[in-house]
Amino acid sequence: MSNSDITVDFEKRRQLEKILGADHISYCYQCGACVGDCPSARFDPSFNPRTIVLKALMGDIDELTGENSIIWHCSNCYNCYERCPQDVRPVEVIIALKNISSKSGKSEEGILTIAKRIKDTGRSVPIMGSIEKMREGLGLPPLAVIDCTDLSIILNPENKDKQK
Amino acid sequence: MKLAFFPGCLIPVKYPFMEAAIRKTLPPLGIEIVDLPGFTCCPDPIYFKAADNLDWLTVAARNLCIAEEAGMEIFTICSGCTGTLSEAHYMLENEELRSKVNERLARIDKEYKGTAKVRHIVAILRDDIGMDKITASVKRPLKNVMVAIHYGCHLLKPSHIMRVDDPDDPHVMDYLVRAIGGETCRHKEWYLCCGKACESDQIKEDMTKCVLDSIKQMEADCMGMICPSCFSSFDLGQIILSRKYKDSALDQKMIPPVYYFQLLGLAQGLSPQEVGLDRHKIKPTSVLQKIGI
Repeated sequence: MSNSDITVDFEKRRQLEKILGADHISYCYQCGACVGDCPSARFDPSFNPRTIVLKALMGDIDELTGENSIIWHCSNCYNCYERCPQDVRPVEVIIALKNISSKSGKSEEGILTIAKRIKDTGRSVPIMGSIEKMREGLGLPPLAVIDCTDLSIILNPENKDKQK
Repeated sequence: MKLAFFPGCLIPVKYPFMEAAIRKTLPPLGIEIVDLPGFTCCPDPIYFKAADNLDWLTVAARNLCIAEEAGMEIFTICSGCTGTLSEAHYMLENEELRSKVNERLARIDKEYKGTAKVRHIVAILRDDIGMDKITASVKRPLKNVMVAIHYGCHLLKPSHIMRVDDPDDPHVMDYLVRAIGGETCRHKEWYLCCGKACESDQIKEDMTKCVLDSIKQMEADCMGMICPSCFSSFDLGQIILSRKYKDSALDQKMIPPVYYFQLLGLAQGLSPQEVGLDRHKIKPTSVLQKIGI
């Protein structure tokens, strides 16, 4: 690739940098420390946090935030956050890309289901019928019903007047 | 010592035996468990955060507010909750971000001032309770029980936020196991992620299998677990892998994962049922044999 082939879409890059967690992206000098200690890269060389950050720096994020994107192969282990000498926090950049993907309805199945369950029930895990019996057998109190009024207000600002 | 209990979701709803072990083993160590009303999911650092990072931080800040208002330190028992609450606390040291989140919290008459304190219970046991007190609570030492510790990821990293231990050479779990009479071993792949939070089934399977294959080179009686997500990878996850790799080493010898506080409960004289070991898919038979049960 000659220099003339490189284009940077600054608008898209700024859009990403505005998302919480992706604000250190421009510190990256492409050293690859994140790759050396990445368990997903070890088992699937097509997953590479350094090239994900490079693409993000070029503003080339449409494919990364599209359906079945490689970003979902991140195991969220935080090794890259630990290793990065520049405090780029590659895993947070990947999460910011996931935010874009989720907002356009292109995230992996299950992400929005779990997010909705937390908003509706206050819990990330659904309560199965047999659980109360198991809890009782272990001498534990029944699970409390979580009041989610606060969540609906802080997560959907326009709901405030309706609910309070 | 009075501490606010943050039970999370996965443990009370899916693995309540871990909650039972916590509630039964901490009082003998002088910890009074306080259940504060109003906590929700931490929220989870994988899915909820992937949907919207700012929503994630806001819900975490609301949970921190509850403990801050009560003037109590939070203790967590799940690595995911520890990660979320510690990271949120760290991020909210940034005043600009804190006022952005507080604008939302003001709608429910809350304000996060930034003074919450959150620690995983293992850090509290090491730093405030001490190993001697744990040893003093033991009635049935885990003599000759070899435990392969699986630290998992989110208890330790990012280390400057978690401040639990050195992620490259952690010892907290080893000290805790030795305090109840057991021994620990570090296998070749001790550092590897269990794969639970990866959306690629193949990578997830390869990681779990790699850890298990490595432990099988050791003479371990069980895995010592501290994270409920890792537990699910190595309990039900191991059963699924053993069916797929029939007649391999994976199928022939299962390594039972056991939450540390279940081991502590056994050592304190509780029965296997009282700490819910009968609820595991893979029963820790050789652990029980070695301590004469």
